[in-house]
Amino acid sequence: MARRHARVGYGLSTLLAVGLHGLVLLVSVISLPASDHEPKPSSIVQATLVSTETVTDQAQRAEAAKQRALARQAEEQRQAEEQARQEAEAAAAAAQEAQRQTEQAEQAEQAEQEAQRQAEEAAREAARQAEAEAERRAADAEEQAQRLEQQRQAEEEAARQREKEAEEQARREREAEEQARREREAEEQARREREAEAQRQREKEAEEQARREREAEAQRQREKEAEEQARREREAEEQAHREREAEEQARREREAAEQRQREKEAEEQARREREAEAQRQREKEAEEQRRAREQAEAEMQRLIEGANEPATNAQQGQQAANDFTALVRQAIEQAWRIPPNVASGARVEISVRLGPSGELFVAEVATSSGDGAFDRSAVQAVEAAAPFAELRQLPAHLQREYRRISFVFSPEGVR
Amino acid sequence: MNDAMSIPHLIMNASTVVQLVMLLLTVGSLLSWIVIFQRTFLMRRARKIHRGFEDRFWSGVDLNELYREVPPEQETEGGEHIFRAGFREFNRLMPKTRSPQAILDGVQRSMRVAWSREEERLNRHLVFLATVASASPYIGLFGTVWGIMGSFQSLSMAQQATLSTVAPWIAEALIATAMGLFAAIPAVIFYNRLTAESGRMLGKYEDFAEEFHSILHRNLQGRSDAAGA
Repeated sequence: MARRHARVGYGLSTLLAVGLHGLVLLVSVISLPASDHEPKPSSIVQATLVSTETVTDQAQRAEAAKQRALARQAEEQRQAEEQARQEAEAAAAAAQEAQRQTEQAEQAEQAEQEAQRQAEEAAREAARQAEAEAERRAADAEEQAQRLEQQRQAEEEAARQREKEAEEQARREREAEEQARREREAEEQARREREAEAQRQREKEAEEQARREREAEAQRQREKEAEEQARREREAEEQAHREREAEEQARREREAAEQRQREKEAEEQARREREAEAQRQREKEAEEQRRAREQAEAEMQRLIEGANEPATNAQQGQQAANDFTALVRQAIEQAWRIPPNVASGARVEISVRLGPSGELFVAEVATSSGDGAFDRSAVQAVEAAAPFAELRQLPAHLQREYRRISFVFSPEGVR
Repeated sequence: MNDAMSIPHLIMNASTVVQLVMLLLTVGSLLSWIVIFQRTFLMRRARKIHRGFEDRFWSGVDLNELYREVPPEQETEGGEHIFRAGFREFNRLMPKTRSPQAILDGVQRSMRVAWSREEERLNRHLVFLATVASASPYIGLFGTVWGIMGSFQSLSMAQQATLSTVAPWIAEALIATAMGLFAAIPAVIFYNRLTAESGRMLGKYEDFAEEFHSILHRNLQGRSDAAGA
């Protein structure tokens, strides 16, 4: 027997009732977006919009076509620019190359000069060396001569003591000595002058002669002179030969440099020719592209003109803009509730800022009419008419322009 | 446009009078639903308790035992309440008077009082439900009429009378009617249902009182016969 039940309280019931109402509210809020997709209430504004849509659309299409053409043109221009840039780069590269070549040429010239200088230097050096050699040799010869003289004195003494036989023997000895010295000389000279052997032979002969002359004491001086002269001659010859050689080498080097330069020049010219050819080809291509672009544009123009009135795109954009302003004005006029008792001269300017899709950002009073209620009614009218979706049908550049509009409200209507 | 026509938006933008009407209707609906839930639970429990008590009563248990099962200060409800009121009166009268008629009269009176209390308990707040059911459509209608008045006023001010000028006003005005109906319809339905239920329960209590009365009568009759003999 359920006897001890407490009285049925109101807490649970309240909770349930509140929950029920909350649920109903939630359903009413949530189900509404679904009903959005049902046919929207069609107002007169939208009806007028439909009637003018074709014009706007045409203008828009024309505008779109123009934009497309513009975009293509821009692209082509960009390409051309790029090409130009490439060409410029190539030209710069060529210029650099040319500079480099000139530099090379200069270098070559320098090298040549250097070579010449070197050659000259070498020649000078060789001359100096030859001179030194000659001097050394002269000194040697002198020394030899001194030694010979000493020997000769000794011989003379011996001869004086031992008569001519001893003198002969001494001569033989001297000959041997001479030979040894000659050999030494040959050894010394062997690395420097191979072609001078004959001359040395001659010298040796001269020496022999000198020796022979030394035998004849009176003739010795003469012989020495002759020897010296011969040596000088030889040296001069040698020097001349070396100079000739140096000259020849320098000439060869110069020739080689010239030839190199000539080759380089030829190469450069070929490159320049190639570049010029490439540029010519590129120009030709650009020309072709331009021609194609022009053709495309002309075609586009023809298409647009064929589709529309022979009005220009700008005019059509203007027309669309006019349509847009007319529509907006109409919508605002319909939403406007003029408060009673407004002075007939009242005039308020409302500046309107729109979002990219025509939604209202700000509607504010730019110039007040002095009547607060009238100003408010104007702002409210703009707010009520607010989403101006027609803005999106305007051409892009006009869209930006028309996102800031101002309307003048006066009791006679919106302007 | 759609956002402007959503129900919360319309409610927030309505005029003050219409908003007050809507508030009143919301409160009425809320209270009526509280009553509906509370009464429903109460009726269900009363039915259950009464069924349990009747089973116990007719199980052949001694009435004195049944009476003593519950301490006298505890409140009981339904048939048990009637039984306890009658039995208490019977027990009090028994030592004082020897007239069975006087005893039976006293028992019947006390049982009628108990039944009347039960009736009051079962029918409490049902009148409120009836009030909400009958008044809220009118209240909603008043809100609608007021809103439409405002819309026509604005129409007179507008330069061009278009549907879009009037539509928000009418929509928000009609919301008041909708809310009135929303409050009234459940109130009407549950008022009828709960009244019927309470009437049925009171009928059962009355039947039980009569049966108990007849038992007591039979008892007294037997005792007076024995006393007479």
